[in-house]
Amino acid sequence: MKFLYRLRNFPFWSWLWFIIGALYFILPLLATFEFSLSWDPAIPWKAYQRAFEDNDFWETFIYSNVLAVATIFFSVLLVVPTAYWIRLRLPQARRIVEFITLMPFVVPAIILVFGLIRIYSSPFTIPFTDIQLMQPLTNFKMGTNILIVAGYTVLAMPYMYRSVDTGMRTVDIATLTEAAQSLGASWYVIITKIILPNIRSALLSGALLTFAIVVGEVTLASFLGVDAFGPYLFLLGQHRAYEPAALSFVSFLLTWFAMGMIQMVTGGQGQAQGAH
Amino acid sequence: MAYLSISKVTKQFGDTVVVDNFNLDIEKGEFVSFLGPSGCGKTTTLRMVAGFELPTSGQIFLDGVDITDKSPNQRNVGMIFQSYALFPNMTVEQNIGFGLTVRKLEKDVIKQRVDEMVRLIHLEKHAHKYPYQLSGGQQQRVSLARALANRPQVLLLDEPLSALDAKIRVSLRSEIRAIQKSLGITAIFVTHDQEEALSISDRIVVMNVGEMEQVGTPFEIYNFPKTRFVANFVGSLNTAEAQVLDPANGLLTMDGIQLQTHEGIIGKKKGDKVTFAIRPERFSFVAEGKKENLLEGTVINITFLGSVVRIQMQIGNSTFNMDTFNRPSLELPKIGEKCQVTCSTKAVLILEG
Repeated sequence: MKFLYRLRNFPFWSWLWFIIGALYFILPLLATFEFSLSWDPAIPWKAYQRAFEDNDFWETFIYSNVLAVATIFFSVLLVVPTAYWIRLRLPQARRIVEFITLMPFVVPAIILVFGLIRIYSSPFTIPFTDIQLMQPLTNFKMGTNILIVAGYTVLAMPYMYRSVDTGMRTVDIATLTEAAQSLGASWYVIITKIILPNIRSALLSGALLTFAIVVGEVTLASFLGVDAFGPYLFLLGQHRAYEPAALSFVSFLLTWFAMGMIQMVTGGQGQAQGAH
Repeated sequence: MAYLSISKVTKQFGDTVVVDNFNLDIEKGEFVSFLGPSGCGKTTTLRMVAGFELPTSGQIFLDGVDITDKSPNQRNVGMIFQSYALFPNMTVEQNIGFGLTVRKLEKDVIKQRVDEMVRLIHLEKHAHKYPYQLSGGQQQRVSLARALANRPQVLLLDEPLSALDAKIRVSLRSEIRAIQKSLGITAIFVTHDQEEALSISDRIVVMNVGEMEQVGTPFEIYNFPKTRFVANFVGSLNTAEAQVLDPANGLLTMDGIQLQTHEGIIGKKKGDKVTFAIRPERFSFVAEGKKENLLEGTVINITFLGSVVRIQMQIGNSTFNMDTFNRPSLELPKIGEKCQVTCSTKAVLILEG
């Protein structure tokens, strides 16, 4: 009787759609993994071995990671105070800012990079004079790094802004700010001790998305002529068969690892916010 | 000068005047309630004292110091919010100690003061818990302790009991009052609940559309409302219009029925119209020999309200309610029957507005 009762209440359709969805994502991944092992049946991990032995892999991978960290840093610096101020004092500006943050979806990366090159490939001069303040940013390594991080910050803006804004929506930012102010806290203390810890999981989500975008990005890196991981993978894919499959699979594992870390770090926070 | 002085304060949002020429002096250790309906300006006034809003004009003095333009973190005021506003990422102890940490007090002092506050609110067993692990009442007590830990000059309470259930509300308001008295702290309490204001305050400021309608002790506000708004807002009240017969002797007539007030009617002459009010509990059935303020009416409805029975009567062209204690020996008239009721001359109040 109990079995029949359970059978009747089994959510069949929910499970069916869940399994179809899961297969849609898992099957290509399994196929990629299987393909990456099929180079040499005697040494199944040969593709992984070759990929990790390549110095270019490590150089581009580390370089892209540094770019990603810099992008996350500047994105947080730009987005958190903006989203906070809009929630606190300028709610009427929300629509405009949301529109601006959505621009990277409308304007393709190729347009962005041509714009950057067009503007920053000329030297900075004092207007109406020939006095040069700085050589073009595209002419030296640090200048190009600044340009690419700025470009990535723009590309990551829709994800970072939405994550942070959603995080701020779950806590009553205005009242918490007022409570902290009445206890004598300065703006710096409020942001570092109250706001940031309470949007930790949102920040990590935004950071993860930013990281994923930057590490795999090809267009900006190619046109600005930097040796980043995206162009490296692209080139590898054009000339080799098994290593790109191996690296794609590793990328998935890295992403899952990062998501697991986020879950672990922010374990109790959801509850804390929910109860407020 | 009073301890806290709000002088000629006006607040405008665009063209809308939210608080209009607000003047109030509060003495040290006094518990004052701002009472009024939603949108009357009571919370805005409180927020101006806290520094979250700047007055359009006027000044606020605290202990002789002009704090009008000071930012909230430079005023030594404690604030309690309706939504508790506890920091979700901090435990009870950390929440209470937050203001002390911000002021960079020594660790020993912070620990001592936090322990003292935790004992004051009887949450010793919950000191290491996070806000989400506490009930609403407990959270609000933590909020109170957090505000008091800084030893503020004024404690501001913005409808702190509104989010709690009725039983907790009653017990917590007594607790707040007891703590306020024991610490001798000056407090302003914003509420729209008249029972709350009447039970907890030294003085009540009744507000309506940005203006002060009446300031007085709970006894004065309830028994001697000056305006029709105060009379209607605080407690239930019967109001009706009458004509002045003899202003010097306080004699009125309503639909041919004579009413006597306790004092003469100032500023009115014979034939003028006035609005008078009588509280339902001030009526009683007529005792033998009673001739003053004798009103005869028809019973329209009878409602049992637990300890009280409310009898609705038609007297002249007006409808009046009479409240009487519900006791087993009570003999009630039937609906449609005629009955005579009376009230003392002190019960007949002449309203200004």
